[in-house]
Amino acid sequence: MVVRQRPDKEEVEDLTKEFLAESQEGLERMEICLTQLEKKPDDEELVAEIFRAVHTIKGTTGFLGFGRLEKLAHAGESLLGALRDRRLAVSTELISGLLELMDGLRGILQTIEATGTEGERTSDNDSALIARLMELRDRGSAAKAAPASQNRASFDKLGPGASSSSGHVAQRPPQSSGHDAVLSALPAAAPGVAMAAAPSMQDKTLRIDVDVLNRMMNLVGDLVLTRNQILRSTPGAENFPELARRLDSVTAELRESVMLARMQPVGYLFRKFPRLVRDLAATCGRQVRIEFEGQETGLDKSLLEAVRDPLTHAVRNAVDHGIEPPQERIETGKPVEGVVRMRAYHQSGSVVIEVIDDGAGISTGRVLAKAIEHGLVTPEQAEAMTQREALQLIFVSGFSTAKQVTNVSGRGVGLDVVRTNVEKVGGSVELESQLGSGTTLRMRVPLTLAIVPALVVRSAGESFALPQNSLVELVYVPRHEAQQAVERMGTTELYRLRESLLPLVWLDRLLGLEHSADAETHDFYIAVVESEGRRFGLVVDDLKAPEEIVVKPLSAELREIGVFSGATVLGNGTLALILDVAATGARAGVRPVAEDGTVVNAKPAVDETARIDLENSMVIYETGEHKSSQGGDGGRMAMPLSAVERIESVPLSEIEYAGGRAVLQYRGELLPLEDDGNVLRALAEAEATASAGDARKDGVTATVLICLRPEANGARRVGMVVRRVLDVSAGRLLAADAAASEEQLAMVKNRVTAIHRGFAQQAGLPQPSILKEVA
Amino acid sequence: MRSTEVKEADTGDALPICSLRVGTGLYGIETRQIREVLGTTAPRRVPLAPQYIAGVLPYRGEVLTTVCFRALLGLECWAGSHCVLVFDDEENEERFGLMVDGVAGVIAVQRNALEANPGGLDARSQELFDGAYKLPSGLMVRLDPQRLRPSRLAESGLFGSESASHGRLKQERQGEKK
Repeated sequence: MVVRQRPDKEEVEDLTKEFLAESQEGLERMEICLTQLEKKPDDEELVAEIFRAVHTIKGTTGFLGFGRLEKLAHAGESLLGALRDRRLAVSTELISGLLELMDGLRGILQTIEATGTEGERTSDNDSALIARLMELRDRGSAAKAAPASQNRASFDKLGPGASSSSGHVAQRPPQSSGHDAVLSALPAAAPGVAMAAAPSMQDKTLRIDVDVLNRMMNLVGDLVLTRNQILRSTPGAENFPELARRLDSVTAELRESVMLARMQPVGYLFRKFPRLVRDLAATCGRQVRIEFEGQETGLDKSLLEAVRDPLTHAVRNAVDHGIEPPQERIETGKPVEGVVRMRAYHQSGSVVIEVIDDGAGISTGRVLAKAIEHGLVTPEQAEAMTQREALQLIFVSGFSTAKQVTNVSGRGVGLDVVRTNVEKVGGSVELESQLGSGTTLRMRVPLTLAIVPALVVRSAGESFALPQNSLVELVYVPRHEAQQAVERMGTTELYRLRESLLPLVWLDRLLGLEHSADAETHDFYIAVVESEGRRFGLVVDDLKAPEEIVVKPLSAELREIGVFSGATVLGNGTLALILDVAATGARAGVRPVAEDGTVVNAKPAVDETARIDLENSMVIYETGEHKSSQGGDGGRMAMPLSAVERIESVPLSEIEYAGGRAVLQYRGELLPLEDDGNVLRALAEAEATASAGDARKDGVTATVLICLRPEANGARRVGMVVRRVLDVSAGRLLAADAAASEEQLAMVKNRVTAIHRGFAQQAGLPQPSILKEVA
Repeated sequence: MRSTEVKEADTGDALPICSLRVGTGLYGIETRQIREVLGTTAPRRVPLAPQYIAGVLPYRGEVLTTVCFRALLGLECWAGSHCVLVFDDEENEERFGLMVDGVAGVIAVQRNALEANPGGLDARSQELFDGAYKLPSGLMVRLDPQRLRPSRLAESGLFGSESASHGRLKQERQGEKK
């Protein structure tokens, strides 16, 4: 009996879970549609979509017995029904009402998720909200029926007149008629709360393509088979190396497919921003439009959660500080409506997310003045700073240039929190700004958190992993120097690293490990580390090889210690704890050296050159043996690195011809090959002569640049046959001189080089994909 | 040792109990609560961890936090041979290990042979023990794995820093305290 009872209960629980996930997805779609609906009030598709979301919730709640939710959903449905039947016009107030409905539904869903029941709130919020929804519906209908009536008049007053400042319940203008009593009963903070509390059910569930799962299952099958064979085999057996190789490849593939399954489009994160921007813009009295780009860019699920808050911060900043008030925009000749663009793309093994606004930009003068005022830098240091360095000061804790503290942002916390959070997951943040034309905040996060490169160090006979991203350099102190190397100021021990004094932290002493001999009587290593502004030397006994470690989380009690961010199994099968560098420094009492200025800025400055190199880099290659018609210099040509996806070496035998044109089957698509320098013919001839005397087959390969050629309707992938790739180097486009030639020229490595036709406009844009291999 | 009792297990009123040796005492945990018994794998010590945490172990692709039962009893944590039992806690999704001196074997006991904790126990024992079985050879203290979860031990506050006075981390930990 007991056995039979149980599945029923479980079944209901499963259904509830599924319902929650589905409803939350529905609500999220609804949110997007609602903000779009405001722009396109006549779009019936949008109304239908919203209606569906609410309808589904209503239908399922009745079945599961959530009466409170059903009531609210029903009220919403009937209002939406009126809207769908065109008995009602879209107005700002209507949208606000619907957004409140959504918040209400979401609130109840969260209660259900947390407690399993829908709860009964003491203040009767639901009925107030329902009354408001009903009133909206009835008033709308009445307005339609009798346009000249009193109702209509008040409706007009509410609608367009209030459009710039209402929309946010708490910020409603006082003149907006007699619904105040009803409205004030609503929780004023509702929209804010709904945004801060991320739907936790969705954080835990993930939708995966069945094909991906099937592939994983196949790989697991392969893994089991290989294991069986290995178990039956012995290390001395003949086929053992082959088995080991297969195990290796299966593992690699499995890892890749699991990582792929964890990837989520960034767009999932972007979804909530239209609403956020809408509410914020209303609160701050701005007119702002939000645009997205690269929503399909994949990012690991856990990282997606990690950048959610920093991104919210950044967008708030962009709307509140970035975009100017409409009046100011008109005066400076800009369109009244400001634009916040969110852009995501892959770049060299990391994901870049940018928040770009076309607002006032940041005045470096003001930043520096403020920094001096706060004692962050000295006037002399400020003098010597580049614009870029000055901008980075904004990330220093306790810095805010807002003239006025608003309730949206500008409390002096913000950008430093953004930086700390992003750095926590191994990413970086940088800021670019052009006074008068806007600001770009760029976050760079790694593709995955699960696997990080680390250096394994030994201290008191135990291994610890030190993440590479916080490692600056390593210093070896031989035994005979050990005594003199360490100097003391009070209780702090210091090491003279070049010109500056570096505080030392003995890992064994800090962790309370037993050490056999006095540390200063034998040789040791100093790992110079830096994280969250703390820079110090970690003293360890020995260094082991760098390893790519798989990060495993620790249980809560061990996380609480704070010094370890996880554990990992090393190549030799033993466990090593992963050190949290920032927390280690904090525990040892090393203070952040942000006040210094120089330390904070040292790193971004290096990053900058690397970044600029990447974005303006050109691949230089030879098109053919003969001076081609367009090559300026013995066939030497260049192409923006950003346009090149891959450089492949293709055996000549794999190149096929269709209708006289060379094509290549590349990753399941037919790639047209372009061969301006007749390289293929030359290669074919070479192969003919070679194979006549030589038995070697497939010896001749052609170098093909797989590139994306920008075209009117998006980019098209083509293969460019080249004789050989010479180099990758920073280049600069030369201004087109129409009179001289049609060719676009660039200065690469101090030589004028022609850019491959059709690719010039791509130079200087970030590359769309990772350059995997340079042949 | 188990030949006679195993027969009783078939009667349905008997409970198979895995008996454990820790120090001089005999302890028992219901076999169905145990997920796996690992051999003599030494957990890796975690510096600065609470005294009752023996360390961490790699287990099924996870890092298993292992509780040292000796430390809970106030004994020296490491004493020659040891053995790690793995427990699952499905509700809280918390999996943990328990380090004991050794596993003695499975004993079937009558359900009604369990005697609740007597009143005179000190707070720590009250927290750890779940009654005792009166065996002919002596008492076997019953343990409830749910009470030995690291998170619960941390919450109870009974086994925190003050129990550090027993273990070998003592001196270092005191040196560490601010």
